[in-house]
Amino acid sequence: MMFTIALPKGRLADKVCRLFAKSHYDTTDIQPDDRRLVIPGENGHVRYLLVKPSDVAIYVERGAADVGIVGKDTLLEGENDVYELMDLGFGKCRMCVAAPVDFREDLTAPLRVATKYPNIAKAYYAAKSREIDIIKLNGSIELAPILGLSDVIVDLVETGTTLKQNHLEVIETVLQISARLIANKASMKFKDTEIQRLTNTLRQEGETL
Amino acid sequence: MAPTETKRNQLLIRLRSLYESLGYTRFTMRRFEEYGLYLENKSFLKSENVLTFTNPDGKLMALKPDVTLSIVKHARKEREGIERVYYQESVYSYSAVNREVTEVEQMGIEAMGDTDAYVVSEVVRLAVESLKLIGLPYVLDISHMGFTTALLSSAGLTPAQQEQALSLIRRKNAHELEAYLREQQIAPDYAARILQMTTLAGPFADVFPDAQALSVDDQTAEALQELKALYDMLDAAGAAEALRLDLSMLNELDYYNGIVLQGYVQGAPRAVLSGGRYDPLMRRFQKQADGIGFALYLDELNRILSDRRALDADVLVLYRDGDDLTILHQAVFDLAAQGLRVITRKGDPPEELHVGRTLRLESGKLREVDR
Repeated sequence: MMFTIALPKGRLADKVCRLFAKSHYDTTDIQPDDRRLVIPGENGHVRYLLVKPSDVAIYVERGAADVGIVGKDTLLEGENDVYELMDLGFGKCRMCVAAPVDFREDLTAPLRVATKYPNIAKAYYAAKSREIDIIKLNGSIELAPILGLSDVIVDLVETGTTLKQNHLEVIETVLQISARLIANKASMKFKDTEIQRLTNTLRQEGETL
Repeated sequence: MAPTETKRNQLLIRLRSLYESLGYTRFTMRRFEEYGLYLENKSFLKSENVLTFTNPDGKLMALKPDVTLSIVKHARKEREGIERVYYQESVYSYSAVNREVTEVEQMGIEAMGDTDAYVVSEVVRLAVESLKLIGLPYVLDISHMGFTTALLSSAGLTPAQQEQALSLIRRKNAHELEAYLREQQIAPDYAARILQMTTLAGPFADVFPDAQALSVDDQTAEALQELKALYDMLDAAGAAEALRLDLSMLNELDYYNGIVLQGYVQGAPRAVLSGGRYDPLMRRFQKQADGIGFALYLDELNRILSDRRALDADVLVLYRDGDDLTILHQAVFDLAAQGLRVITRKGDPPEELHVGRTLRLESGKLREVDR
């Protein structure tokens, strides 16, 4: 039976490829900038899909891939019905609320929040009972408060350099992010052995990464 | 059965006769209910997006998103005896992603009343038989909500903490569960047991001893004993092969208390069957009776049971101008009476048709044509 693994392009691709290359999975010929969409491995028993990070969980939820590697950020945002089997411990960063350096919150009006992650932002502020106005953007989130489009932003912060350059600073941490191994629910029943083997390998390799 | 039936319809007919053979009677209902029914039981529903409309009296109505609630609402109050029903109904929801109203067919059974261990075994056996009828490799996961709640309560988790822990267990998310239990200062001994719920899964007989090791008190032991007795009963009947124990499989606490089940077939990415014992749901409707049942998600099955590659017809009968139409008429209906799907065409056989055999009327007789 074919075992399909969905891997994310982009931010995590580098580390994921290195992890798989170090494990006993023969992925030595996968490069992070590979143009192939489907890459066969292990004498045709395994195949790898290189897809957009935000699509990994959808491939897995719908059974097009048995397992996948995805950042906790996209996993939370997508609310997909999958098993989350492992924290792989790399790709670490924080989901933060950031605001202009001299920002003072106006508590009499809804807070305008620019973000790529409307679900995470909504859940975070709902838990604090703060009324917000979500402005969904797809990139250059830092621009929004500078132009007065929003009061704050909710975004991933890795080093904080981009924030600093744009005179923004972190005011709250929403949650810690890292890469996770996820699995399709039905695959977990029918491809138990393969998934077990993968988690064991990744656990060993993860410790030495 | 006539081969004209699609695989899906054949399955539905077989399921219905299976349920009827054990005394379940068809329950039919209106397409809508008062919205209040769903508002009060929101967390029982798979999707929160209920379709509503206002009736001429100004009452807010909803197209039914679920069947079990309606059945429970209309069930009789008394506990004596067993009321057995099955249904095949459309349910409606709104998909926010597709911005589309969806209608899917659901089939299922409910047994309500004095649901003793026999009745539970009957319903679980029917779940097994239903999955078997689909005709693909399948598994039926079972678990016990009583075990979960007893373990979490004796570990000292408050209801709110239990909800949080359950949502992590359901996703088999051991890493976050471990951190959460540590943060909540749950005794390490209990935390280790709760953590194991995320991984304890497999063929029933193989993993049951591990589950027993997690037992902490009479309540957990009793729940496990109920699972074991159920397994033994089905095993003795030769119907336990596909039974798996998966302690991470959990339904909503507010509605379910005993045995819970979830069925998967190879090729479908999600569960195709789901159900369990819902005594707390019955109490919400002031019923003395207990209840257990399951639903089959026919939308998940549609794709894997599609007849896409099937033939357009079993027999194509060709004829020409001037042929004896009386003979043609008789021949066609004779073939149909044999249970074959027949289509006729005047002139040459069309390219796009896929048929089993092609026949042509020649001097008053049907002859095979090579295509």
